[in-house]
Amino acid sequence: MTSHQQDRPTPVVTPTRMLIVTVLCALVLAGAMIFGLAVGSSGIDFAAVFRSFQGKDAVDATMWTILWQLRWPRVWMALETGAALALGGLVFQALLRNPLAEPYILGTSGGAAVGAIAGILMGLSLFPGVSAMAFVSSALSLTFVLLLASGRGGLRRDTLLLSGVMINAFCGALILFFVSTTQDARLHSILFWLMGDLSRAEMSAVYGLGVVLVICSMILFAMARPMNVMLMGRETAEALGVPVKRTRLFLLAVCTIMVSAAVCATGLLGFVGLAVPHALRLLFGPDHRVLVPACFFGGGAYLILCDTLARWIPKHGEMPAGVITALIGAPLFILLLRRAMR
Amino acid sequence: MNRGLGLESWISSARCVWVCVFGLVLLSASWSYARDVVDPVGRQVRVPERPQRIITMAPSLTEMVFALGAGYRVVGVSRYSNYPAFPKDLPRVGSYVHPDVEKIVALKPDLCLAIKDGNPREAVEKLESVGIPVYAVNPRTLGQVMETLLALGDVLQVQNEAQALVADMRRRVQDVEKRLGTVLDRPRVFFQIGVSPIVSVGTETFAHEIIVRAGGRNVAEGPEPYPRFTLEQVMRLRPDFIIVSSMEREQVFEQVREQWLQWRGIPAAAMNRVSLVPSDLFDRPGPRLVEGLELLAKILHPELFHDLPSAR
Repeated sequence: MTSHQQDRPTPVVTPTRMLIVTVLCALVLAGAMIFGLAVGSSGIDFAAVFRSFQGKDAVDATMWTILWQLRWPRVWMALETGAALALGGLVFQALLRNPLAEPYILGTSGGAAVGAIAGILMGLSLFPGVSAMAFVSSALSLTFVLLLASGRGGLRRDTLLLSGVMINAFCGALILFFVSTTQDARLHSILFWLMGDLSRAEMSAVYGLGVVLVICSMILFAMARPMNVMLMGRETAEALGVPVKRTRLFLLAVCTIMVSAAVCATGLLGFVGLAVPHALRLLFGPDHRVLVPACFFGGGAYLILCDTLARWIPKHGEMPAGVITALIGAPLFILLLRRAMR
Repeated sequence: MNRGLGLESWISSARCVWVCVFGLVLLSASWSYARDVVDPVGRQVRVPERPQRIITMAPSLTEMVFALGAGYRVVGVSRYSNYPAFPKDLPRVGSYVHPDVEKIVALKPDLCLAIKDGNPREAVEKLESVGIPVYAVNPRTLGQVMETLLALGDVLQVQNEAQALVADMRRRVQDVEKRLGTVLDRPRVFFQIGVSPIVSVGTETFAHEIIVRAGGRNVAEGPEPYPRFTLEQVMRLRPDFIIVSSMEREQVFEQVREQWLQWRGIPAAAMNRVSLVPSDLFDRPGPRLVEGLELLAKILHPELFHDLPSAR
């Protein structure tokens, strides 16, 4: 994070530039949505997507059903989850001043998964039961990570990562414990859910997550300037009038709500919050007023593309999208780690 | 304005009546093409008069539909449907725990057959929300399998085939019962469905029912449907027979068998009574359960069933 600032001149952020970047990212997202609509296990047909824009009669009824009742909710779910995870990664990286911070690596996603699975096995309803469990346990795991990593001189980069890894491992062990004591049909759905599966996307969940996402991302956009200031370090930020501790706590809470809602809906999708903010930061510079909208649209587009690949690659059926995001994200993580160590 | 003339309003109301009559005719025509039935799970389903494009969402349903002679109307089957040996190019629509809804829709079925415990509810709801009727069944016992076959015969309009099939199954079950009528000795059976870890079958399973009907006692009976065991626990149960139900190749079976045979403290091992049976005959709620019954009866009581072929 800080290294980017040093070796690149910070571009001047004007409203025009923000608008251009936002429109650009929205266009990429629109392209990804069309791609996601056109590709699936029953075949690829871009022409049908465009014809179906003209109305219900322009394509045959089966194609219409596949496009708009099966693929459409899935594309939306991928959009929202991708946006939530990318924004989560962006904010974690800014607040913790660590380029490797990401909901999955810091155990926030894992914590949400523990709560959600426990909720499912206890037979709670998805909302508010399972969601509340997911939020509480992901907030708990994040608190543990931060407590473990905070020393006298504030958060330490290496300790932060290690604590995240350990909390993640502990969450993994808890999940395996739950799984090993379960013997019924829920087992299979839990396993798929652990790998991040979008195949059960429902419009009702899309609406629910959408509300959470829109509110949270609007808050994040409003807080973009304090986030910029906080990148300069605690003393500087406080000198500039940003109450660092309170702001950090508030933003972490917002992100935890957002991430746990996304995890509840789709399961564990790793490294989205790592890949997307870094790519966009390379493209557009470190200013959060640009990066928040860019991550919103870019994260959505990224996960739609990953999920579409997951539907397209296997010959039979499909694979969970989490497989693809990890296949892309893990090498990137290693790359960033090497750069951070230099 | 037109009220004074009268004639035009007459014409328009006549037209109205016409449209209504025509609409009713159309409606009744469509009624004769679809009918409301209640499936064995208790859901109301509107099925076509004679379904022509059927998708079976579990291997057992594939077996049932084919056994009813309606296999030619199947346009897609669940993965792992391996019996009977029908053309291999029949499309696969995902496994039964993870059906590929998009593929099912693309095949334009007029009826989907589903299993209540197995097929995810979300997938069934999604299919119904896009207008594909789903007829769900949930047989838990051999008797319910026969009832399910009759119900499917009704839905698919092959009642005669269903009656004949179920009559044959009943006759064979009764034949086994009759032969076992005088038997007092009911051997202790350990039915193994998982090798590592060792998994057996509880009371609420088809395998348990078949063990009991075949004149044996299930040493693993209990509320847990698929209980896990350690080697020690199996030894203390002292089964007279160990039945390994498996789709694995002979070689793997030979290993499992040798592993059991070295524990001479188990009566089954000491007496060389470790057998392999095809798992599809014991865990798939279809017409072939009767074959499983005959097979197991012959293993447990060879003296009573020597004239039966070992597998049909």
